[in-house]
Amino acid sequence: MLIATAIVSGLGLGSMYGLLALGFHVTYAVSKTVNFAQGSTMMLGAVLCFTFWVTLGWPLPLAILLALACCALWGAVVERIAVRPFVARGSNSWLIATVALGIVLENVVLFTFGKDPRGMPPGILTTGAFSVAGIRIQYLQALIPLIGLALAAALQIGFARSRHGKALLAVVQNKDAARLMGIRVERVIAIAFALSSFLAGIAGILVAPLFTIASGMGTLFGIKAFAVAILGGIESAWGVVLAGLIYGVAEAMITALLGSTYTQIVTFALVILALALRPNGLFGRAELRKV
Amino acid sequence: MNWRVLISAAVAIALVCFLIVRSDSYHILIIVLVGLTALVGIGLNVLLGLNGQISLGHVAFYAIGAYTVGILTTAHDWSFWPALVAGGVIAGFAGILLAIPALRVRGPYLAMVTIAFSFVVEHGTAEWQDMTGGWNGLSGIPTPTVFGTDIGEKGIAFLTVALTVLALWAFSRLSGSLWGNAMRAVRDSETASLSIGLNPTMIRTTAFAISAIVAGIAGGVYASISSFISPEAFPFFQSILYLLVVMLGGADRVLGPLIGACVVVLLPEMLAGLGEYRLLFVGVLMLLVLRVAPVGLVGIAAQLLPIKRSEGAPRARGDIAAFLSSNAGRYDLSVQDLTINFGGVRAVKGLSFEARAGAITSVIGPNGAGKSTALNAICGFYRPDAGTVKLGEKVLSQLRAHQIPRAGVARTYQTSQLFETMSVLDNVLIALRCGRLGAADLLAAKDDAASVEIAEGLLAFVGYTGTLDQEAGALPHVDKRLVEIARALAVRPAVLALDEPAAGLDAEDTAAIGALLRKVAAAGVTVVLVEHDMELVMGVSSHVVVLDAGAKIAEGPPVKVASEPAVLEAYLGSAKQADRKRRSAPPAGGARLLTARALSAGYGAATIVRDAAVEVAMGELVTVLGANGAGKTTLMRALSGLIRPTEGEVRFLDQRIDRLTADDIACRGLVLVPEGRQVFPELTVLDNLQLGGYARAPADEARMIGALLDRFEALKARQHQRAGLLSGGEQQMLAIARGLMASPKVLMLDEPSLGLAPRLMENLYDLLAELRDEGITILLVDQAAALALSVADRAYVLQSGSIKRSGTAQEIGQDPELVRAYLGDGGEPASPTLSAPGIPLAGK
Amino acid sequence: MDKKRLLQNVRARHALAIGLVLAWFGAGSAFAADPIKIGQVAALSGPSAQSGEAIARGLQLAIDEINAKGGLLGGRMLQLVQRDDESSPPKGLLAARELMSENVAVIFGGLDSPVSLAMLPAINKDKHIYMGVWAAATNITHNGANPNYAFRVSAVDALVDVKLLKFANQKFGSKKAGLMLLNNPWGQSNEKGLTAAAKDNTAITIVGTEKFEPADVDMVAQLERLKSAGADSIILVANSQPGAQMMKSRERMGWSVPVVSHWGISGGRFPELAGPTAGQADFVQTYSFFGKQGAVGQRVLAELEKKYPTIKGPEGVFSPVGTANAYDAMHLVALGIAQAGSTDGDAIRMALENLKTPYEGLIKTYNHPFSSTNHDGLGPDDYIMVHYQDNKIVPVD
Repeated sequence: MLIATAIVSGLGLGSMYGLLALGFHVTYAVSKTVNFAQGSTMMLGAVLCFTFWVTLGWPLPLAILLALACCALWGAVVERIAVRPFVARGSNSWLIATVALGIVLENVVLFTFGKDPRGMPPGILTTGAFSVAGIRIQYLQALIPLIGLALAAALQIGFARSRHGKALLAVVQNKDAARLMGIRVERVIAIAFALSSFLAGIAGILVAPLFTIASGMGTLFGIKAFAVAILGGIESAWGVVLAGLIYGVAEAMITALLGSTYTQIVTFALVILALALRPNGLFGRAELRKV
Repeated sequence: MNWRVLISAAVAIALVCFLIVRSDSYHILIIVLVGLTALVGIGLNVLLGLNGQISLGHVAFYAIGAYTVGILTTAHDWSFWPALVAGGVIAGFAGILLAIPALRVRGPYLAMVTIAFSFVVEHGTAEWQDMTGGWNGLSGIPTPTVFGTDIGEKGIAFLTVALTVLALWAFSRLSGSLWGNAMRAVRDSETASLSIGLNPTMIRTTAFAISAIVAGIAGGVYASISSFISPEAFPFFQSILYLLVVMLGGADRVLGPLIGACVVVLLPEMLAGLGEYRLLFVGVLMLLVLRVAPVGLVGIAAQLLPIKRSEGAPRARGDIAAFLSSNAGRYDLSVQDLTINFGGVRAVKGLSFEARAGAITSVIGPNGAGKSTALNAICGFYRPDAGTVKLGEKVLSQLRAHQIPRAGVARTYQTSQLFETMSVLDNVLIALRCGRLGAADLLAAKDDAASVEIAEGLLAFVGYTGTLDQEAGALPHVDKRLVEIARALAVRPAVLALDEPAAGLDAEDTAAIGALLRKVAAAGVTVVLVEHDMELVMGVSSHVVVLDAGAKIAEGPPVKVASEPAVLEAYLGSAKQADRKRRSAPPAGGARLLTARALSAGYGAATIVRDAAVEVAMGELVTVLGANGAGKTTLMRALSGLIRPTEGEVRFLDQRIDRLTADDIACRGLVLVPEGRQVFPELTVLDNLQLGGYARAPADEARMIGALLDRFEALKARQHQRAGLLSGGEQQMLAIARGLMASPKVLMLDEPSLGLAPRLMENLYDLLAELRDEGITILLVDQAAALALSVADRAYVLQSGSIKRSGTAQEIGQDPELVRAYLGDGGEPASPTLSAPGIPLAGK
Repeated sequence: MDKKRLLQNVRARHALAIGLVLAWFGAGSAFAADPIKIGQVAALSGPSAQSGEAIARGLQLAIDEINAKGGLLGGRMLQLVQRDDESSPPKGLLAARELMSENVAVIFGGLDSPVSLAMLPAINKDKHIYMGVWAAATNITHNGANPNYAFRVSAVDALVDVKLLKFANQKFGSKKAGLMLLNNPWGQSNEKGLTAAAKDNTAITIVGTEKFEPADVDMVAQLERLKSAGADSIILVANSQPGAQMMKSRERMGWSVPVVSHWGISGGRFPELAGPTAGQADFVQTYSFFGKQGAVGQRVLAELEKKYPTIKGPEGVFSPVGTANAYDAMHLVALGIAQAGSTDGDAIRMALENLKTPYEGLIKTYNHPFSSTNHDGLGPDDYIMVHYQDNKIVPVD
């Protein structure tokens, strides 16, 4: 019972981590860079959705679509001002630059959205529930992993089937060859950042009803999701999704079995240990060193 | 340190001391906080500035130091001073501990490890309640005493100033020591640092430890001035501020962290009105610094000051020949049955050869023959799957990479791997010790007179004529090569291995390298040379080993080797060619589609192609011939926009394209089938074809794919397979088909026959002839000259980056210059023209 | 080298820098103040910013009242000087030092216990008065210093914890309490307090202690542990946001166990965050602006509405305990200063420990609120239990 509920909780959170980590994966694969402040993008999705829907009273589908569109745009902005200039001069300062931009975003939200955390109005997804073997599962709780996996699958299929998806995969596999096909690599990278932020936005909107909406809500999520991406071997899409689920379940299990006191210590120590033993992540491949 | 620095420092210290005496407790605390922040920043500067490693968890070391002092002085009644030392030591140990996982990971992975570490420490201090007091923290931490007298806040302030000054002094010493340069060397190029005997593992760990010790001591002082510590005093965000401190001031600048700390601590205090916008301000400031002033405030100030360029060219000093021969000891290098596999592919198969001491042994072979791989195995970068490498009686093949140079093997790299941010002199100085650094070297100056004399002598010896304090990254290409050789010689090697030292050099510089290698060999050093430039190889080698497809096909003195048919065939392709004459009359007076004029291109400082002129007219098949390393691929990359030409112009369809990006050029119909095929291995054959037509409207995509699959039967059968699973020949077919998908106005092919079995090569060229006859305009580059000439209308000969000849295929096939371009002068006596040993080449 | 000229050169170049630094360092102590400065060190930015604002409102209201009556010590006006501690202990310490160097008569603390704990050694050493109006950690007033300059008009964890267990037992008949504590200093302080309180209360035992992080989303695992340990009530110590997460997790499990909470869940839009079950948590308060108000209550509410137009009725008073405690504490300090006849820390301390004038305040009438051994102005009898009814905080029966 204890373990079963832990697994249910863990899968829900784990798929959030997985979604964010998938965003890390997408940009890393095409450009070897990430938006380190992915957590703040997630927050942006939740905050915008709340603002459009609750504060401005627009219809929910419109609010969600607009929020996601803004997230995607933000991703492209991050790439343009905090990643591309540094990559162009061969510096790895994009890491700190994206952190800085995340701090800026969080504070702008703090002063515009307000310091007070807000909550999504309750709806059937959070109040309704069903039981499986005596475990009560909220609709949303069941929906989140489904949406997470569906998105991962949709991405996979979208990449494999669509013309532009294939172009993105081509950039991942060989940038120069992709250029020779007439693929605008810079644009693909910008789109990858937009996509990454789009995924973070979805994660934010999905977690919003379970959580509270505030400017700092994404920070720890972002860090954990990055740990997940690294653990999964950031180059592998299924690896990071799987690592997300493992991380979420592990967190819940440690809490359920050892008690909550040591959850953070044990999970982060495990992250260090895992990276010490497998520097390319649990599901990543080592690269051949070329001289 | 000169007078000006000393006086400035004294004035600054006196001013701060005066302020401390006059200030109230708030301002004293501010001074202390600036000092402690600067201390952590100085420590972080060792890690980030000198060693190039990022830490997003540095506050953890600060916390460890603070808690050590807190716990020892309260619960265990230690005096402050030993507790402070313990704080530094324990933080240092934590640093070493963290270095273990950190050694194996880079970039974002390392950032993650340090973040995780700081979380573990933060939660550890919160949960280990018996020791740390948990979230409620430790209170009542006493201020230090000296001879029984409480030194109070002002005393702590003086202590902080003293520690900061000490740390600044120590950093400036470290920065100017061999250790400092070793850290920079590992930062700039880990690969190259291995080859001069530096042990990156130890150096990285040392940087982590020093950095952690300094942060720990700062934390210990903080515990005492605040007298209360709790986990919340060490938030994660603080680590980001420390990074800002270093970057704002300027990484790898002595005063950087101090200036950074002043700004980061004082500015929010002075601008109290900033209030809640403080974090916003920090974020914007960080972005600004990174974008506008990546060298930091101190870096900018240094740029504004006039640069002293006192030192001139190196003087010939010391007896370099004696220096070199002192360790050479006339050992032969012997390679036996060396085999290396890469994922099932045998890159080198059972290679054996001997390189005699005091002589130059060259390893040559066409592209992809496995030369560099063999060299890398000899130098310890790859562990061979079988076989041994011995130097005299010493077995090298079991040593780790950084031990190889200590055993006596030094090397240079195909693309120069200098320590780019270090000066020319420092590049050589750091190699003199061959990685043997002791604790005493931490604060000792790197440039003692004896070392400088040898380093300068070595630079003069190799013929370097630039200045000694020039930054290596800004050197012209030829100087990079020379400095790299000087650096390799500085380890006093018994064996000097060089990987294409002449690549990208003009004839004059190449000749100079040849002379230099002779001098080195004359000093008793065993020289092993991997090189494409046959003129150089034939001119200096006493023994030549020829590889093809990973196996040795010939060896012996240069003249003998150059006349062996197997070698000629490996280089030029079989002279026996099927008739691939045009079925219809060759086009005459077609419009010029592609014109390149006075084109120069290269990588970084290296100019590979010089002043080349190429023309392709509608319907023609034009080929550019030349040996490996002649610049053929560079030419193709420049034409296709993958690299930007440095000079000259390229016109395509009467428009200039030399400033356009590759994707734009591809969209206009100039399509390159790149060297090495470069199909997308994880995508299916069909997907690869589809992407080939990406630039066009997909209207008739299905029809075109169908037509191409009909043409390439082998691909049709495997259309749903991943391209990476195809054989080499099939991949080449796919790459060409993919190029055709774009309906190119000019199709460029770079080395299509590379790595193909002879029968497949013939098939490929039959195909090219077909395409030609269908009216497709083709620019072909291939080292298999005979094959290329069998289909070409016109040809150019490229040697050392310059076009040496141009003419019809027949004219070129008869031209002795062609063979010379491939095999150098050594090839000339045995085979004056390519067509001489066999049937005429161009199929006439 | 001409050293003399060099020295001059160096001096000239440093002159500007020296001048600037000296000017700034001098500025702090330049003004001899006529008004009496009242210091406040609290979170004015970050997630707890609202608490600092609530305290400031209570202080300002009381200051305005006192100034309207002609100030203190023969016409000296009171003036509020605020510093942001950013919820960070080192920043709090820095801010306290700065205020002390500006000679404030008293430093009012904020929400975060660790910040107050970090400031206290310096405050006691400098003989300044500290007045806590929110942070409830027991050892703020019981800090071991002698003489002790720390006073408080707020709840005290140790006393609240006694009250919470007693209430759970008496109201819900709970015999097995499960603790849900925020993993921060405050949670840890209450873990001690609750453990001690359970020892003295034979009617109820603690069957499990679980913690959660401020940013945790899902606490089902912790609640399941408590449930399987047989808990029949939950004692909650958390702020609104994580407290709301606890309530949502409880709702998700479909577990209708009674929840008795410390006062952290007051304010911060707890009803909105926790959703439908928000009203099921009973929690402790020192004061509520809902229900029937006394004369002081009516007057203060009216003044608040006048001064802060966003306040329309008791719903508008966010974090009411901060405002109420600060309001009463400011008046008590004013009485202390008046009785001491000076702003000297020692004098005020002795006056406060022996306040001659009773003060009819918002929370209660203070009669000798402090003594040399007791520096807490409020006790268990002054706490009330309340719960949310929609957006209103109403007393429990």
